[in-house]
Amino acid sequence: MLAIETKELVKKFKDVTAVGGINLQVKEGELFALLGTNGAGKTTTIKMLSSLIVPTCGEIEILGMDIVKDRQKIREIINVSPQETAIAPNLSVKENLEFMANVYQIPNREAKIEELVTLFHLEEVLGKKAKTLSGGWQRKVSIAIALINEPKILFLDEPTLGLDVIARKELWTVIESLKGRITVILTTHYMEEAESLSERIGIMAHGKLVAVGTAEQLKQSAGKSTLEDAFVELATKGA
Amino acid sequence: MNFAKRNFKEIIRDPLSVVFAVLLPLLLLFIFQQFKIPSDNYRLENFTPGIVVFGFSFISMFTATLVSKDRTSSFLIRLGVSPMKPVEYILGYMLAIIPMIALQNVLFFILAVLLGLPFSVHIIWAILVSFAVSVLFIALGIIIGSVFSEKASSGIASIVVQLVCFTSGMYFPREMLGKGFAKVCEFLPFESCVTIIKGVMNNDLTSITPRNIIVFAAYTVVVFVIAVVLFQKKMLSDNKGG
Repeated sequence: MLAIETKELVKKFKDVTAVGGINLQVKEGELFALLGTNGAGKTTTIKMLSSLIVPTCGEIEILGMDIVKDRQKIREIINVSPQETAIAPNLSVKENLEFMANVYQIPNREAKIEELVTLFHLEEVLGKKAKTLSGGWQRKVSIAIALINEPKILFLDEPTLGLDVIARKELWTVIESLKGRITVILTTHYMEEAESLSERIGIMAHGKLVAVGTAEQLKQSAGKSTLEDAFVELATKGA
Repeated sequence: MNFAKRNFKEIIRDPLSVVFAVLLPLLLLFIFQQFKIPSDNYRLENFTPGIVVFGFSFISMFTATLVSKDRTSSFLIRLGVSPMKPVEYILGYMLAIIPMIALQNVLFFILAVLLGLPFSVHIIWAILVSFAVSVLFIALGIIIGSVFSEKASSGIASIVVQLVCFTSGMYFPREMLGKGFAKVCEFLPFESCVTIIKGVMNNDLTSITPRNIIVFAAYTVVVFVIAVVLFQKKMLSDNKGG
């Protein structure tokens, strides 16, 4: 079954077309990266796919359900880790996890929190206020919170933006551990991140999905040896 | 209640909110009683209701800061994809403030009684009425927080604090600044808020005019509706992105 399918997806903000007719298919369990420059439409696409904003036209199906008609059901099986860390700053890490567990009315709350604490190695920061944590820890907590409802689809919007190399690598390990179990849609600016983590990559430019394929396929199609060169070629040609 | 609990913790763990919303009005109430100022405004039965409303103006400030912080940190985006319903957001912010309002009121009136305000059951009624009055100030905070950034929110909300000081008549009779100014004050809600609490507290209901009730009720309903609509609209419009 397809986790995500979009048909001619469009989003306009007044006269500006942020996303202009995207057709995308993502398989269940796939880790799919959306690469694009600033303003390419990645975040808007993620927000439409995660039911935050309504498309101007076009269709979105999430695990066979319509994003508009079945919005409430879809919200129970997806989650998102936004570009900003989106955690309650004056609450401890444990309180943040408990709060979101209550929002989703998780039945086995304590066990679920324990599982996430172990998976993300959060033991040492569990009692600390979220605002006192480093950027890397905050991102980890943000992703851990997004997994509280055991989502079938997880949207990660620029998860490693602004992190140092070590924190980024640590987060990659966490994201890789989700492969196969959860469908992950990841937006990123970093070529190596897309290449290292994802099974397929979609390149967005000026609101359009200009190329989709594995890193190797994209390099071949652009006739370049690196993903960065392929990205520049495909993004500029597509624009 | 879950969201309200979270919001309450966010507010109470920010020491500045307690200092400004509780300690500063308490200090003012205490200090102004030491000066023996020859003005009826500073008699406890007149000044205490003013202090209550003054304390509420800081509630506007903290609500604004919290809402704005939740918007700009994308915390509301995270909640936006959850099964939480829109009404739960507004209720969550409002219910979170109630313990702070209760704390303010109880401490203000205890100090007033210690300073010489005769205790009566009408103080309890005044506390209950002030909860209704606080809705206006919470809603004002939600509007400011929905429109402005975190930094701008506290600045804009401080205008509410200033408006309370200058137009409520708590520090000086509004006529002192001219008839025109006094007329403007009549159509702003703050003087009515003080008069209503004062009238109930002093068991002098005849001092509350129909104009006070109409102005207060109209502002509260309109501001509340604007807060709900604007919050929902801004929550969506903030979800534009690159």
